[in-house]
Amino acid sequence: MRFVSFRPATCVLATAALLLVATAPSQAQTRAETLRYVTGASVNTLDPNIPGSTRESFALSMSTYDRLVAFGRKQLNGKWVFDLDTITGELAESYEVSPDGLKLTFRLRKDAKFQDGSPVTAEDVKWSLDRCVTAPILGKAQLLTGSLTSADQFKVIDPLTIEVTLPKPDKLALPNLATVYPMIINSKVAKEHATADDPWATAWLKEHTAGSGAYVLETFKPGEQAIIKRNEAWNRGSPSKPAFFKRVIIQSVPEPATRANLVERGDADLVVDLQASDVQALEAKGKLKVISTPQYNSITFVSMNNQIPPFDNVNVRRAIAFALPYDDMFKAALFGRGAPLFGASWPDGKPLNGIYPFQQPVKIDLDKAREYLKAAGLPEGFSTTFSFNVGQASTAEPMAALVKESLGKIGIKVDIQKLPDAQMSTQINEKKLPFFTEGIVAWLPSTDYFYRNFYTGNQRWNYSSINNPELAAIAQEARFEPDKAKYEEDGRKLNAMHADLMPQIMLWQPNQDAVMAASIEGYTYEFHRQVDYRDVSRK
Amino acid sequence: MMTGFGTTMVRAGRRLLSSLPALFGVLVFTFLLMRVLPGDPAVFFASGPNAGKEEIEQIRKQMGLDKSVPEQLVFYLSDIGHGNLGRSMMTGQPVLKDLRERLPASLELTFTALLIALIAAVPLGVIAALRPGSVVDHGVRLFCALGVCVPTFVSGLLLIYVFYYLLGLAPDPTGRIDVFTSLPPQRTGFLMVDFLLVGDFEGWWTAARQLILPAVSMALFVIAPLARITRASMLVSLGSDFVRTARSVGLSWRKVVVTYALRNAILPVITIAGIVFSTMLGANVLVEKVFSWPGVASYALDALLSSDYAPVQGFVLLMASLFVLVNLVVDICYGIADPRVSIE
Repeated sequence: MRFVSFRPATCVLATAALLLVATAPSQAQTRAETLRYVTGASVNTLDPNIPGSTRESFALSMSTYDRLVAFGRKQLNGKWVFDLDTITGELAESYEVSPDGLKLTFRLRKDAKFQDGSPVTAEDVKWSLDRCVTAPILGKAQLLTGSLTSADQFKVIDPLTIEVTLPKPDKLALPNLATVYPMIINSKVAKEHATADDPWATAWLKEHTAGSGAYVLETFKPGEQAIIKRNEAWNRGSPSKPAFFKRVIIQSVPEPATRANLVERGDADLVVDLQASDVQALEAKGKLKVISTPQYNSITFVSMNNQIPPFDNVNVRRAIAFALPYDDMFKAALFGRGAPLFGASWPDGKPLNGIYPFQQPVKIDLDKAREYLKAAGLPEGFSTTFSFNVGQASTAEPMAALVKESLGKIGIKVDIQKLPDAQMSTQINEKKLPFFTEGIVAWLPSTDYFYRNFYTGNQRWNYSSINNPELAAIAQEARFEPDKAKYEEDGRKLNAMHADLMPQIMLWQPNQDAVMAASIEGYTYEFHRQVDYRDVSRK
Repeated sequence: MMTGFGTTMVRAGRRLLSSLPALFGVLVFTFLLMRVLPGDPAVFFASGPNAGKEEIEQIRKQMGLDKSVPEQLVFYLSDIGHGNLGRSMMTGQPVLKDLRERLPASLELTFTALLIALIAAVPLGVIAALRPGSVVDHGVRLFCALGVCVPTFVSGLLLIYVFYYLLGLAPDPTGRIDVFTSLPPQRTGFLMVDFLLVGDFEGWWTAARQLILPAVSMALFVIAPLARITRASMLVSLGSDFVRTARSVGLSWRKVVVTYALRNAILPVITIAGIVFSTMLGANVLVEKVFSWPGVASYALDALLSSDYAPVQGFVLLMASLFVLVNLVVDICYGIADPRVSIE
């Protein structure tokens, strides 16, 4: 037996050759009709209702399934964003709200077909909505916010008409039907795959699609990529025609620098989750289109646990609010890319309007902060920890350092605590963190919705654990307030209470930076903070 | 020769059996470790905009976390016995399926990297050993130091920057194959093999180009230990009596260096290569991340970050089994390289 003999020179040459080979120019692809979308996360289920589903899964389901209705779009500072107040038909050709607001009647399109060719009927709609409020899935909690809680509320009138009844006139009932979860499923196909244990076919729908959407699933590799192809029969777009792109490739590229390289080199067409620094660099080069929209339904906070001393003292919270170096934090964390929620001036000390989130009348003022600390009986300051999760480190880390430095000046000693995401979620849920930063999103950003979900109750989203019966009562009441002026008044009251009690400190609304090839058009900022592939086209 | 082979096989079998208790230990240990780590996966996965207590409980039940730890362990072991590694919350797929799909990607990358590393390291080590203390020797030392001190993700990003971004020569660094190329029918899971099996050379070429940058950045990191070991053991070998004798009887330079010196020096290199291979397989997380390589290591890291128990446990079990296997292969290679080793 002979051992393979090596000739050093040959080997070095071979290595060199390998490297050269690797670098031969790639073939140009003609792919005008394909959209390649790269993202850091991945599609993990085809049914967005499954607990743990990612935002990428939401976006995919918006394209593979239709809903009864959809949000319109409007321009905000020259950029297209979804419009909560305009609800247009998707599978519904038209809809009607009864004068007392208790009955919604939807008339379905006659020509709407599922991807297997069978027509979309009111039976399918009923089955899908029943599933959403009955099965143990995410849609249940969402539809609850629109007073949709029971299958009895959905009634088939005729094959093309379905009626939804409400116990109370609820402003959020209709918009809820346009969100991700109440997608309309081909009930015949789904029922074939239902089992006794799983009557709503949740297991099957997680790995298969049975919709009527603009795109049909072509391949799906969880954690890697999903490819969808155009449904030529689909006509629910605004100009009533199929979507523009023939194929969409949704690919996971975990490294943000690589995502930036890909879109800059023209290999990827669109990306929404780059690092702020990369976006700034790409914008400066001017070759790509960068559309930055403040995420007007999301907020980044510094939160304080209102039940844990010393943060249970309102003056401590006020002191913190006047000790944060807002401008520096905004620049360090986001390079100023977003909408600030600080530094407002309220001329007569009252909120300007009843819209939440609002710009708070706070700015850094260390003398004022010291006064508040004195009023709280803590003139020497105290020690605490400031936590953030690893997943947000790129923005939260520089921010935390500035918080520590600034609070140090008024005697508050801050230990920075960086927690793994799962651990952070657990501690927030158990209400154990005294002082931390988090971000929130609401799909249906109305004032009462924000206050009810994020400032009341003992649930996880009440980050500051504030327990104020008056605030809770107003928020509850506002929910069913039909009078617009009265609603606005409620909003003002809530905002004034927020500014006074300072349960947590709103910092800013970060931008959604969509970076795309110059030829991509029609990008719209959607409520689910992903790209709706049906919106975009290529020039 | 036959008896030598037979002995090797017996040795291999015995080795395999004796490693079973160790595997079991790894299994139980990882299981307990995952439970001890802070962070409640149910809360993490119920992180949707409106997931409340009910959703959290539901996920807990789905993941089997509503039972006591000993109960969970019993269920887990019985599942393993039935070849079921559980289901990943992240991908929604059975862990076994995920691992089966992703392991070939990692193995292909690691094999290629190891091959590149060996092809570069052994000659480098030999050259350095032939002229110890010379400029060449120092050059090799410098190269090795550079390779080992630059972390793989840095060299990976650097290679991408130069060959993809600046020069535009390499294909885009995402995954095993260009997204526009269709995959060959899956037989082995190794793209390089599968493409050859169907005779699709163009596809093979696309896959190969995609493989080279990540493999090179991984190889750079492990050239150092391989080259240093080669050099050290070559030095011993060159200074030994049999090489002096071989020289003195006037055998050719090549015969002396390759047949006598290198063949004797190669044993420690095989050992190190085996260890290097096992470590690379688990440690190439960063390379897999940088190149969006759909391998097992990046999969396990994502799972760990989100406290997704089943994939992490599955991954550790897989790595432990592979480690046992690699050690076996090293043993067998020993027997082939030096038949004396087989004699117990």
